[in-house]
Amino acid sequence: MLKSLRKRISALSVYGFFFFAFVYAPILLIVVFSFNANPVNMMIWDGFTFEWYKTIFGYQTALTESALYIDSTEKLHDAVKNSLLIAFTTTLISTVFGTAIALAVARFRFRLRGFYRGLMFVPMIMPDIILGIALLVFFVSVGINLSVVTIIIGHCTFLTSYVFVVVSARIADMDEALEEASSDLGADGWTTFRRVTLPMILPGVIGGALLAFIISMDDLVITYFIAGVDSTTLPVHIFGMLRRGIKPEINAIATVMLLFSIVIATVGLYLRSRKP
Amino acid sequence: MTMWKPKSLAQRRKLMLFGLLTPPTVFLAVFFIVPLGIMLVYSFLEPGLYGGVVWSFSDLNYGRILGWADTKYEKFDPVYLGILFTSVRLAGLTVLLTMLICYPAAFWISRMSAGKKNLFLFLITLPFFVSLVVRLFAWVLILRPTGFLNQALIGLGIINEPLEIIYTDLAVIIGMTYVFIPFMFLPLYASVEKLDMSLIEASADLGGTKLQTFLRIILPATLPGIVGGSIIVFIPALGNFIVPSVLGGAKVLMIGNLIEQQFLSARNWPFGAALGMMVMGTVLILLIYYVRLLSREDKNAEAK
Repeated sequence: MLKSLRKRISALSVYGFFFFAFVYAPILLIVVFSFNANPVNMMIWDGFTFEWYKTIFGYQTALTESALYIDSTEKLHDAVKNSLLIAFTTTLISTVFGTAIALAVARFRFRLRGFYRGLMFVPMIMPDIILGIALLVFFVSVGINLSVVTIIIGHCTFLTSYVFVVVSARIADMDEALEEASSDLGADGWTTFRRVTLPMILPGVIGGALLAFIISMDDLVITYFIAGVDSTTLPVHIFGMLRRGIKPEINAIATVMLLFSIVIATVGLYLRSRKP
Repeated sequence: MTMWKPKSLAQRRKLMLFGLLTPPTVFLAVFFIVPLGIMLVYSFLEPGLYGGVVWSFSDLNYGRILGWADTKYEKFDPVYLGILFTSVRLAGLTVLLTMLICYPAAFWISRMSAGKKNLFLFLITLPFFVSLVVRLFAWVLILRPTGFLNQALIGLGIINEPLEIIYTDLAVIIGMTYVFIPFMFLPLYASVEKLDMSLIEASADLGGTKLQTFLRIILPATLPGIVGGSIIVFIPALGNFIVPSVLGGAKVLMIGNLIEQQFLSARNWPFGAALGMMVMGTVLILLIYYVRLLSREDKNAEAK
């Protein structure tokens, strides 16, 4: 009995190994080949180089001196700047909106409470292409020019929901009696919010904000439809590169993005795992 | 004085609620609900000659997909239904594959010690935070004729000619499976975790075979996770156009690609909107089914 149990567990562990190999191998492959010196075939190892990292950070090398390369590096940097600007602004707005709705739904009884709860799940279960084209049709019909601003608006419409869900989970774990105690002791609503509620829900708010930031940085579908000519973001830029033909520095771009997302995800998951 | 204070408290709470809800409500009404409404309306209008719409009612956008049309210029073409079915098939296969991959993995992790569990759950969610385009690009590198897989197979002497995997249905399914693994894993894991292991032992003690135990105990107990995960994977897979355009090239067309074409190159907004509504309709039917299943589960639980 014990022997067969052990056998079953080890079979599962072998399976687990292959599972993780499947999940992580593609990512590791990109990191390794971002140091490959072969400029023609990215998959044939031709020695170690930092060339592609130098390229994407804008240092000129013998290989990348041509005007074509400088132009594409400039476009890459513009896309990065747009992505960061959009992600920061979106995070700020959607965190405020999402937290406000979460607080209203959790702490107040009003007629439309059920409606809000339902509404906040709609963007999460709707295929993103639908929201993308709906926003495109809306902006063009109303006559708003597609720009960084329209992308920020688009991101806020669905990221408010993500923040709502994360913050709501945190509020659900929180003891309402603390707020009652605070108001019994004579604190007004604002003081109670600032001194009791906010510190308690803060890890949830920060977690929601980081999630919003990372999804905004990575969103491709919605951005793709509402990005104007001059407002490319990093994922849209890479998507374009994948469609037009791949250049070797794409590995280096991907590796830098990877590091960036992993750092933010780690901080976010750490904050979320801390108990209230 | 005593009458005045509670009234003011209630009023102040009302004011607070108003302050909390008004800004996000106005924002979402204007930029979320109105756009979706406009799209629904557009799906019943006629396309303008150079993009845009003509404000006259038409059900021909749906007719082109579902089988009626006037003879003038809007023709019914079974190709659109075909693409919808292709999308349902590819999304369905993606659901099946993610499930087959994640089910054993969920059991594997559910049997770990608490500390190890958290670490491994973190490791599974981590790739989810890696940019989607980056992950798809990795599969381009692997599946290309000169890519990693073909080189490895040729190097090992298993094949002589590179396999044509990229730009096929298979490549799209592999890509979607890879991208949606976390979507399937988390709901599955949640229901496997709740599974009472003593039930499995009891079944074995009572002489149940492994297959019987699986079919009559494990499967029904984890059904909500299976159905939940399937829906969460199926929905984004159905309307996906990123994976087919990166890994399917021009050869694999899913409904998402068709919608993209209608909006960005053909500029037939009403028809594109109608296609979008078909996707939404499919999604809604699935969700209603899921909610019904859940409420039936609840009733069963209450009956016990």
